[in-house]
Amino acid sequence: MEDFYHIIVNLFFNAPVFIKITVLLIIGFILAITVLIIYLKHIRRRLRNKERIQATYRKKYESELISYLYSGDGDGKINSEQQGIINYLKKCSHNPLKRKILVSTLLKLRNEISGEVADAIQNLYYQIGLENHAAKKLKNKKWNKIAKGILELTQFEIKEVHDEIILHINHPRGEVRKEVQMYLVKIFYFDGLEFLNVIEHYLSEWDQIQLIETLQKFENQQIPDINPWLKSTNDSVVLFAIKLAKIYNQSESKDILLGLLDHDNILVRVNTIDVLNNLYVTEAVPILKENFSKLSIEEQIAFFSMLENIHHNNDIKFIFENINNKNFEIKVSANNIMKALNIEKLNAVMIEAFESETSESSDFITIAS
Amino acid sequence: MIPAKKIVLAEDNSILSLLLKFKLEKEGYKILVAENGKRAIELIEENNPELILTDVMMPFVSGLEVISHVRNKLNLLIPIIVFSSAGQEEMVLTAFNLGATDFMSKPFSPNELIIRIKRLLN
Repeated sequence: MEDFYHIIVNLFFNAPVFIKITVLLIIGFILAITVLIIYLKHIRRRLRNKERIQATYRKKYESELISYLYSGDGDGKINSEQQGIINYLKKCSHNPLKRKILVSTLLKLRNEISGEVADAIQNLYYQIGLENHAAKKLKNKKWNKIAKGILELTQFEIKEVHDEIILHINHPRGEVRKEVQMYLVKIFYFDGLEFLNVIEHYLSEWDQIQLIETLQKFENQQIPDINPWLKSTNDSVVLFAIKLAKIYNQSESKDILLGLLDHDNILVRVNTIDVLNNLYVTEAVPILKENFSKLSIEEQIAFFSMLENIHHNNDIKFIFENINNKNFEIKVSANNIMKALNIEKLNAVMIEAFESETSESSDFITIAS
Repeated sequence: MIPAKKIVLAEDNSILSLLLKFKLEKEGYKILVAENGKRAIELIEENNPELILTDVMMPFVSGLEVISHVRNKLNLLIPIIVFSSAGQEEMVLTAFNLGATDFMSKPFSPNELIIRIKRLLN
């Protein structure tokens, strides 16, 4: 055996440099792979143990929760058995892993159940003091911890932390801002939209969709005054307010909306034309018609969509002039309006327009002669 | 003594099925819990229950497949109550087309469920 070892060592030392490097590399790789395999096995074992522990605790907390819910006397007061469960769960909540399992167990049932049982779960959440642990996360330096804390407080509808949560409305991370917005709207409904007065960051399209979707679920659809948001210096807030004006038919904001036709942001102007069309604001037509040549192509298209909905006899000449517009969408809109018009009415209007032009020409000839 | 009426509860949310089991047993029913659709079908075939409560979305075999199996393979006319979540409206319609008797949208009140069960079983 020793001879074999010496032969190998001699072979190695007498081998060319290239072979030596290759052998050393092979040995290095084998060692690295061995270490990695051992490490992976260790991680796997740890994860499995953790999973097993979690499953055990989950089962334990599920049965504790059911016992708590069914050991009540029915008078809403906490009896000694329930107090014992609360004390036990309170003790468990000091451990972060156990607390995480406990919260997920409470949520697992709360999301599926309504009525008395849901209220009892909410009460248990307070009794264990879990809202304090979630509120502590709001002061954490890590953004993901803050977002998770807000999410948990939203899921359990904790109103008391409003002032602490709104402080994060201008957090540098979008994820935190989104959680704050959802908390405010889900818990305080339309009143939660107060954050629009203070938000400095851009409210993304996705955020806006989620907010509107949440708002539309509420029974009370009494929307607050949107005028301050239409005047906001944050363009995304203005765009969101325009969406609200459209969905909730805010005709009262007509004057401010007309003012937005001169907004610096083209997207705001286009969306304003769209909402004015939706609200059937006829006053917008002469304003836009007068400035038609100065409008961007997007605004012109939006305006013609509006004309398809709102037009008068005195607009027909203007529409007729654009029947061969270079832009295909405008051309289609103009043709649609012409098609929709009664042919006799159209002829009458065209004759009227022609006569007015002829009289203008004859006046000019008379003056010239 | 009248034997307790048997109800098969197919629900993958363990704590919800535990809660319903407790609540319904208190009302005098015998509850057979299945954590997935496959197990639910086995329990139905073995126990011949008086009523079935099933979630729409479940692992292995869905609630819709359970309804289809009960109505088309086993030819049973027992009442079936379906649990659905938000956004599963189309599935509920499919469930009714397959032969579901009633549905409850999550989150639901266990007390309301009991009223519906009593109405269907009496």
